[in-house]
Amino acid sequence: MSDLTFSTVRKTFGQNVALEGLDLEVRDGELISLLGPSGCGKTTALRIAAGFERADSGRVMVAGNDITNQPPHKRNMGMVFQSYSLFPNLTVAGNVEYGLRTRGISKPERQRRVTEMLELVQLGPMANRYAHQISGGQQQRVALARALAIRPQVLLLDEPLSALDAKVRATLRDEIRRIQTELGITTLFVTHDQEEALAISDRVGVMSNGHLEQLGEPTEVYRHPSSAFVARFVGSMNELPAFVRGPDAVAIGDYVVATPAVGMREVGAPVLFLVRPEDMSLGASDAKGLPGSVTARTFQGAATIVSVRLDGSDTLVSVHVAGSAAAHLAPGDRVNVVMDGTRGVCEAGVAA
Amino acid sequence: MALVTGTSTPPPVEFPRSAPQAPPRRGRRFGRLGPNIVLIAFAIFFIAPLVSMTRFALQKVPMPLLHWDTIFDRWSLSALTDAFKEPSFGKTLLLSLRLAVGTVVVTLALLLPTALFVHLKLPKARPIVEFLTVLPYVVPPIALVAGVAAFFRPNARWFLNSNYSLIPFYVVMALPFTYRSLDAGIKAIDVRTLVDASRSLGATWPSTLRRVLLPNLSSSIVSSAFLTTAVVLGEFTIARTLSKQTFPVFSFDYFGRKAQGGIALALFTLVGSTALLGFFTLLTRGKARRRQVNRF
Repeated sequence: MSDLTFSTVRKTFGQNVALEGLDLEVRDGELISLLGPSGCGKTTALRIAAGFERADSGRVMVAGNDITNQPPHKRNMGMVFQSYSLFPNLTVAGNVEYGLRTRGISKPERQRRVTEMLELVQLGPMANRYAHQISGGQQQRVALARALAIRPQVLLLDEPLSALDAKVRATLRDEIRRIQTELGITTLFVTHDQEEALAISDRVGVMSNGHLEQLGEPTEVYRHPSSAFVARFVGSMNELPAFVRGPDAVAIGDYVVATPAVGMREVGAPVLFLVRPEDMSLGASDAKGLPGSVTARTFQGAATIVSVRLDGSDTLVSVHVAGSAAAHLAPGDRVNVVMDGTRGVCEAGVAA
Repeated sequence: MALVTGTSTPPPVEFPRSAPQAPPRRGRRFGRLGPNIVLIAFAIFFIAPLVSMTRFALQKVPMPLLHWDTIFDRWSLSALTDAFKEPSFGKTLLLSLRLAVGTVVVTLALLLPTALFVHLKLPKARPIVEFLTVLPYVVPPIALVAGVAAFFRPNARWFLNSNYSLIPFYVVMALPFTYRSLDAGIKAIDVRTLVDASRSLGATWPSTLRRVLLPNLSSSIVSSAFLTTAVVLGEFTIARTLSKQTFPVFSFDYFGRKAQGGIALALFTLVGSTALLGFFTLLTRGKARRRQVNRF
């Protein structure tokens, strides 16, 4: 067992609160992504786990052992950094071997593990090269091999893909997940890229202003965001001024949408109703819905994004239309926007 | 359908086949002339005194006769070899070299941890440290030595009696050069990430310094050591004021007695320092090249 636990961890930098009592448990063999905008505290949490920052209060535990006050070199954690971190004076093999040397492991065992790790990241033939002789993606794979060579209890990934181009990023992302699953290593992954987080995580933690807004499986976080912040940060959202029509319904103009998101709000209260583009569809101009005019159409392969300006307001909504159903639409065409409010989110708004 | 057609692979962008047009000739000619004039001016500025110095030191021709037509006449190393035969030459040179080694060791022992600490833990203090390191530029050596000597003479005379009391002065004198050299080396690598990576892999601070930082800062450490050596081999005021017989003091005294020999010694110091710089540069470059060769 090597689960990683944060218990009410708080950290401030001067007047800025980086972590406001973080509680998080990364279960044994699980990959949790901490997702959030810059300054939300996700990297601070990771650096506290690694021992590079000291928490003001709270505890960090690995496999039930309190490591809060342990220096980084005594924690058995592998880390891959955002910037390229290979030691320029060492070859690829030398880098992977580094952590094994510091642990006083015998030479034959070191060589065996270096070979094993380089094969794991498919870089065996690059063993004698130096960092500047391999690509950015390869450097990060070596960094991953180096972090894993020491057989850490926990793997910490600090935005390891952000410096790479899109194609390499996607490939390496899948490779990280494959290796993580293969080794069953407890992993904390920090990213600001929602697509990355949703793609490879067992659970995603969305952070804002030093606290965890929501922690859940990727589908749950995407489908049932617990707050307007999470809804906006994970995926895209249409925002419509509305008012509460009843305990289970909001009205956008005359169009009533059934939704469980009203909560305890009073009837008539103004709200901002958030709906994902894929929960909207286009009906004929005489159907029930919100009438508007098509302003643009963007073909994206599997789906088309249609932008519609709603009548009587400046509100612009995006509607995902699957397949080629929207192929006939042209700017200026009249449509009716229909929506499914079951996964919508309400936020206090001002009267329209 | 038109939409689908629109998303098919776009035709490759055609680039013009002809070579890009050459810039106007007049501009190019002017462009070459400018830098050449600057280059020639700099060459004259640097080379003329060196040539004059060499001729004065190594030609057995009276100074008023050192014209173009005597440029190949009576070249001899005797002024230099005579200087080498002086009993104080070896002694003072050895002392200066010892002082140089001592100064390099103390400078690196003080400045490397300071520069690393400032980069890693106190980045806000960087402007202050940079300001402090340029102070020797504005405090004249004579003021420095007078102040320090006035303090140490009544309190710790033994300190000033030792030849090695010059080391702290030289450390201060070399600060503007050495700190900048180390600082540039540290800026060139991502020290924070390398240190974090090393620490996360189980290395202690001393181990990180030995295995990661020193190898990756070797060039700046070498150039810092060279600059320090150059300062020590050229410093006169402090050594003279404290009555120490260092190599520059000997050179100056010798110049008073034998002008040609003194200049020959200055030339010797200059050539020696340059050779040292060349040697270190080749050493670090050779190391880098060997590394590249080994990779394939």
